[in-house]
Amino acid sequence: MDYSNQIRDIAAKLFAEGKIDVFVGYRMSGFDDNQVPVVITDPKETSVLVFTEKSVFNLTNYLKADHTRNKRVGLVVKGCDSRSLNLLLTESQVKRDKLYIIGVACEGVVDDKGNKMQNCMECFIPDAVVYDEMLGKLQGKKDYIVNADITELATKGLVERREYFEEIFENCIRCNACRHSCPLCYCAKCCIDQETSTLYNGTNTSSSAFHALMTWSLHLAGRCVDCRNCEKACPSHLPLHLLHKQNEKVIYENFQNHLAGVEEGDRGAFYKYSLKDPDDFIM
Amino acid sequence: MSFSTFVTDKAGLQKLYEAIISKHETYAPVEKFGKYDYKKVSSLKECDPDSPIAMTMSVKPLFFPRSSKIMKYESNSAGTSVSETEDDHLAVPRVILGVKHCDARGLQVLEAVNKWDYIDSDFQKRRANTVIFSTRCDKADTHCFCTSLDYDVENLDATDVALVNGIGGKLYIQARTEKGENFLKENLEKQSAVGSQQSAMDDIKKQYEAFAASFRLKMDYKDVNEKMSKRFNSPAFEEASRNCVSCNTCAFICPTCHCFKISDVKIKDTGVRYKSYDSCNNVYFTLEAGGHNPRPAKYRRWRQRSMHKFVFYKERFGVNLCVGCGHCAISCPVNISIFDVVNHVASTPVVL
Amino acid sequence: MEALLVPSLAKVDRIIQETPDVRTYRLKFKDEALMEKFTWEPGQFVEFSLLGSGECTFCISSSATRKGYFDCSIKKAGVVTADIHLNIEEGDEVGIRGPYGNWFPVEEIKGRNLLFVGGGIGLAPLRSLIQYCIDHRTDYKDFTILYGARTSADLCYKEEIEEWKKNTSIKVVLTIDKAEDNWKENVGVVPKILEEVVKPEIANTKVITCGPPIMIKYTLQSLDRLGFSPEHVITTLEMKMQCGLGKCGRCNIGSTYICKDGPVFTYAQLKALPDEF
Repeated sequence: MDYSNQIRDIAAKLFAEGKIDVFVGYRMSGFDDNQVPVVITDPKETSVLVFTEKSVFNLTNYLKADHTRNKRVGLVVKGCDSRSLNLLLTESQVKRDKLYIIGVACEGVVDDKGNKMQNCMECFIPDAVVYDEMLGKLQGKKDYIVNADITELATKGLVERREYFEEIFENCIRCNACRHSCPLCYCAKCCIDQETSTLYNGTNTSSSAFHALMTWSLHLAGRCVDCRNCEKACPSHLPLHLLHKQNEKVIYENFQNHLAGVEEGDRGAFYKYSLKDPDDFIM
Repeated sequence: MSFSTFVTDKAGLQKLYEAIISKHETYAPVEKFGKYDYKKVSSLKECDPDSPIAMTMSVKPLFFPRSSKIMKYESNSAGTSVSETEDDHLAVPRVILGVKHCDARGLQVLEAVNKWDYIDSDFQKRRANTVIFSTRCDKADTHCFCTSLDYDVENLDATDVALVNGIGGKLYIQARTEKGENFLKENLEKQSAVGSQQSAMDDIKKQYEAFAASFRLKMDYKDVNEKMSKRFNSPAFEEASRNCVSCNTCAFICPTCHCFKISDVKIKDTGVRYKSYDSCNNVYFTLEAGGHNPRPAKYRRWRQRSMHKFVFYKERFGVNLCVGCGHCAISCPVNISIFDVVNHVASTPVVL
Repeated sequence: MEALLVPSLAKVDRIIQETPDVRTYRLKFKDEALMEKFTWEPGQFVEFSLLGSGECTFCISSSATRKGYFDCSIKKAGVVTADIHLNIEEGDEVGIRGPYGNWFPVEEIKGRNLLFVGGGIGLAPLRSLIQYCIDHRTDYKDFTILYGARTSADLCYKEEIEEWKKNTSIKVVLTIDKAEDNWKENVGVVPKILEEVVKPEIANTKVITCGPPIMIKYTLQSLDRLGFSPEHVITTLEMKMQCGLGKCGRCNIGSTYICKDGPVFTYAQLKALPDEF
């Protein structure tokens, strides 16, 4: 999978035609064979753009940053990235007519060590679902599968599960990098990191980490697209996907096979009402 | 005052470590999810004092906890009472194994800000009660640049005991402070002191030279520092900050970042006031209640961070705040390297 | 460190509603010996905490020459200040740490004419100095106070201003931004009145100014135009602070810590700082 040349050409053309002000893509890190995102405003810089199986970071995160706000942006999206973009579009965080989207039919990306990422092995929508231009050979939809670490969670009792997560979150340092690197966490005042919230005020007690991460994951339930930006950002290497995948599975099973951002106009599982929604928890 | 150097081998060091762990309160890097954090250990098996530098969190939280209680209070109709919290469990005599050289230097650098004017006596007490064991790295990691900065990596005295790997499985244990010297005298058995034996010193020197030659990153610190101080208005900060996702990880894992916030947690009538880490990359950091924010744009916050590391702290306290450990670049989700940023800024023309 | 951050308890003796959104809290330490010992210089600040809500930085708006109490004037702006306005009643207890920071150069300005230029809540730190100077009146020469606010209702310390007006040795000039019925004083923004009405003498005069950022900006320009040298213009900075001890890094501008090296600076010193306040 190497679309570097195509992306360079498209970006250069977009700048030349005056269709965009900023282009968000990937470039080589400069110190190893990994890639880092790059935000380009100068057409001359488009030659640094690359796209291979090392293009991991979900670029839609940059749509909430200073440099892209209210600007016309060109960006590259893989399958999972395009799903988060779909949600951002329905949630009115970005305007479709301000974006030029290069969709990629993704064959899966690899981590720092060159192993295929776990979320790519479970990926069910490898092709970008929203785009202006598509690159690569379409991979087609795949079945929704759940990895062993999630099915194992189901075998644990409630108390056991709580202890399990408490142990995992013990190493959390409450830097909130997970929330900041998440493309769908755009709240100006986040409940887990605002300074004046008395529950989640960034104190690094284990209960504060547990509650904050749980709350955070529930805010993303039915919206998380499993891009794993959060895990990439976590300095303690916490397996945060356990929370999100578990939520995804519960929602898939209970809310008519809902998968976040797959369809255009998707509002996230908890933002739409259907008569078929489970209601047995209502007293 | 000159300090002793002892010679031993891997097995001897293991034995020393084991003896220390059994006799003293000991902290060492413990692995979890591939990342090492300093925890209290009861046996050598649990921990790895030779943990890889890139995967090891800073030792800073053992001196400046991520969150600490300032006080407890209770207020009800009868009035308010304030009580200071319990004893400081970090100020007891203890040993920390496997501290990285740069990390130990970080503590030394932090002493400057903790000692000026109001004195942070807790930090001082914790450091005074701690014996730091530190192995000199044999090879630099991708983002390391400690040898380029304004301190003597070779003879670093920020650690109490330094360990150096010699040729042929030899291991040198060097006391670097009086505390380290006394500690070694009490705890080292049989191993002979080499004193100033020339061959040992040559061996140690050679190790350093090989280590210093393994650096990918090198900079002319004096030049960069001087140039940076004239480039506060450089547009390069804006370019550098574009990639940043403002996730604050860099500040939380930095061995020298020391900004903190004070926050209250109150449930019903009782409450606790905490002091916990904060980051200047956070948009709320300088946001005033009236809505005015002196650093509203990302590049301004980035500029504050890099200028503070390389210029402001030096101006004020005479030491560079960055110790060149490279942890920020490693942990950054988009791998922004402060080394690249400051070098880039220093290479741009002066803007007034 | 933690011990330095523990506040002492003080009792709210009196609450004075200055304007719709500003209240002055008159405080006394619970511990009488501490109140006896507690002293400060005009321009210094304290960390004021409403236990449970958080801590805020406020300057002391009264002078240590008036013993037995100290005042904090608080404008409702953020979450904590809103909580303070909502929840604190006379007789309640709050936490106080301080005093911190540097102060107005009371010795250096001796024998000079003093011109105070204040806007809105910015009169609070000036009031501390004004009270101090009134109590040492013979040390200083001519005394002019120019004070403005958006509307007449937004003028703080109304009763005290009346007293100042009665004092023949003080010239008081008041102004509001827009004309109102029954308003007999000046109308117009502070810098305009400064240039057109006050027309201060430049020789041997020290200007002490404080107010909202926009007023400060234009006042400093006016003072420049009038011919004041930046060394003779003194102001006090507002910056978000938390520890007050030069540790938490919040008020760090360049290598300056506002909480230790400030908050009082001359205009000349401010010009040398990076533009981040």
